[in-house]
Amino acid sequence: MTHPEVPSLTTILWAEGLTKTYPHARTPALSSFSLSVGPGEIVGLLGPNGAGKTTAISLMTGLLAPDSGKVTICGADLSKHPRKAQQCIGLVPQHIALYPSLTAAENLSYFGRMYRINGRELKARVNACLKIVGLSNSAHGRIETFSGGMKRRANLAVALLHQPRLLFLDEPTAGVDPQSRNMILDRLSELSRSGVSMLYTTHYIEEAEKICSRIAVIDEGRTIAHGSPGELTHAHPDCNDLGQLFLRLTGKDLRD
Amino acid sequence: MQPLLATLFKELRLLYRDRFGLLVLFVMPAVLVVVVSLVQENVLKATGAAHMDILFIDQDRQAFGTLIGEQLEALDTVTLVTSLDGQAIDTDQARALVDKGRYQVCIAVPAGITEAVRARAVEQISDAFSGGSREGALPLPHVSVYFDPLVQGAFRSSLLNAMKQMLLAMEMEIKAQILAESVPVRFQQTLSALAGRIPLDPATIPKLQMDSGWGRRRLMDVVAEQSRLKKLPTSVQQNVAAWSVFGIFFIVLPLGGAIIRERKDGTLARLRTLPVPYITLLVGKLGAYVTVCWAQFLFIVLMGKAGLPLLGTPVLSLGSDTTALIVTVTMVALAACGYGLMLGTLARTLEQATMFGAVSVVCAAALGGIMVPVYVMPPVMQTISTFSPLAWGLNALVEISVREGTLGSVRHELLYLAVFFAVTMVIAWARFGRFDRQAET
Repeated sequence: MTHPEVPSLTTILWAEGLTKTYPHARTPALSSFSLSVGPGEIVGLLGPNGAGKTTAISLMTGLLAPDSGKVTICGADLSKHPRKAQQCIGLVPQHIALYPSLTAAENLSYFGRMYRINGRELKARVNACLKIVGLSNSAHGRIETFSGGMKRRANLAVALLHQPRLLFLDEPTAGVDPQSRNMILDRLSELSRSGVSMLYTTHYIEEAEKICSRIAVIDEGRTIAHGSPGELTHAHPDCNDLGQLFLRLTGKDLRD
Repeated sequence: MQPLLATLFKELRLLYRDRFGLLVLFVMPAVLVVVVSLVQENVLKATGAAHMDILFIDQDRQAFGTLIGEQLEALDTVTLVTSLDGQAIDTDQARALVDKGRYQVCIAVPAGITEAVRARAVEQISDAFSGGSREGALPLPHVSVYFDPLVQGAFRSSLLNAMKQMLLAMEMEIKAQILAESVPVRFQQTLSALAGRIPLDPATIPKLQMDSGWGRRRLMDVVAEQSRLKKLPTSVQQNVAAWSVFGIFFIVLPLGGAIIRERKDGTLARLRTLPVPYITLLVGKLGAYVTVCWAQFLFIVLMGKAGLPLLGTPVLSLGSDTTALIVTVTMVALAACGYGLMLGTLARTLEQATMFGAVSVVCAAALGGIMVPVYVMPPVMQTISTFSPLAWGLNALVEISVREGTLGSVRHELLYLAVFFAVTMVIAWARFGRFDRQAET
């Protein structure tokens, strides 16, 4: 699925022509970036360090205002109806964006209340989300006492609490052990099958190959390739896998 | 040795790269030294003298009143205020101003003191010639000094002693003058009485009876008058007001730190993707920290009410206007929390926020009269002091608890605190909304 000319009624995320230049920067961090995500789709956003992945996510979640371009989430224009659009999204940031001295359950409850979920429903959802990420037994443990993998899973659980239709995952498996990574990927695949759409950034190409139905490769703020993993490797028959393709597209020079 | 040197140079390099941290390390102590030294300058001087506006009422309007005024005016540290808005001040008006703390001292010279002092001088010189003593026949006139009840004892003593010395010198002058006038007359009288009996028998010549008792007889006195306040202030009242304001402002440390941590660990980014207005997040924080400030205040009050009396101090009294007290403490807490929010959004690191926050609060406390009274500071520091939010909070709390103040009487301080809170919130709000500029690719 390539980027359509206009969003269909079922398009969950529609980003068109996003451009952002930071103050005092000579070149744009992101330039004419367009992307769409359909229901239940997992779209991978790959790129070397400094390619513009986090800027793209920040623009599509409303953390940043674009210099130009437009983002529509679940039919709501993000710039005009940010609250309505943000109600549809869940963000799993690169950092462990949780309160270390609160327990996992307390963290989830706090963010749940921010979505105006209360009472029994909140309790049920907290328990359900902790179960999804395998932290039911650690619900009352403080985040600061968790291992790296547990923190990552708790970070994911918070984003699932309000049952978002679109998840933004910014390197959700960075620095975790293979077991936790495997579990996180399994859960994301299950969520995808249940209809949750995702935009997934990672440096692990094999992860993207495993769970993404489409992949966009960006570098220096521009989209340089876009398609399903199969389409991308077919277009470059000299590359055996996505990893090789990624290096072919973005080069082997080190990035700052 | 190599690892040791490597570690040493690495640490020095890290310190050098943290320019702001270094700046804070060097500048902040320097700021503290300057501020606290200037604030305490007059306190540590032997005289304890400070430049001060003193209300001066001369009801005598004759030689003596004028002379006292001139001598006071000649002091470098005193400016006499004899009228307000072009109108002469009467004693009642002056005492009210002193009771309210607008002025710390009022000196009143009563009507007729010139004649009274001269009469006593004549009486005493006459007694010296006659060898009698009519002490008590004429009342002892006195100059009244009214102090703000909050003026410290050392300062009162210092001023009263200075006044006594001044009056003694004037007494000596008057006595000498009367003596000089009397001696020729007495001499003439004696010569007339003894005419024809020359050469004189030395025993028949009257001697001046100026023994030590005569010398100690005063012509006038200076009296520190009692305050008209129903309840005199206690050290507990003043300390509870001062240190609770100081403590409340230290909320900037945890509050600023919390904001920086949220920013650093990405929680703020997550919060900003929630369908919740930023202002809700800020107000939520504010509510929590204002509650903590209130808990702090109540804890200190509890100590003043129940703890300190066990050690022999008077029980803390907080005045009678509870509404004014609640509003004032809330405004102080809001101003402190607003400052904390602003600091948290402006500082780049936790170290910056804590160091700058702590030092700025200590400086503002020193300037605000928490450590030494504002009236003993040098004039420049007194002017700067009027810009300290801690001074506004302290003045309002002292007004309510010590002077039975009301909402009306602390309205200016409350207004300043409200404006300070609004400004800090606007800055915090503006910075809070601009963190996107700091996002990285």
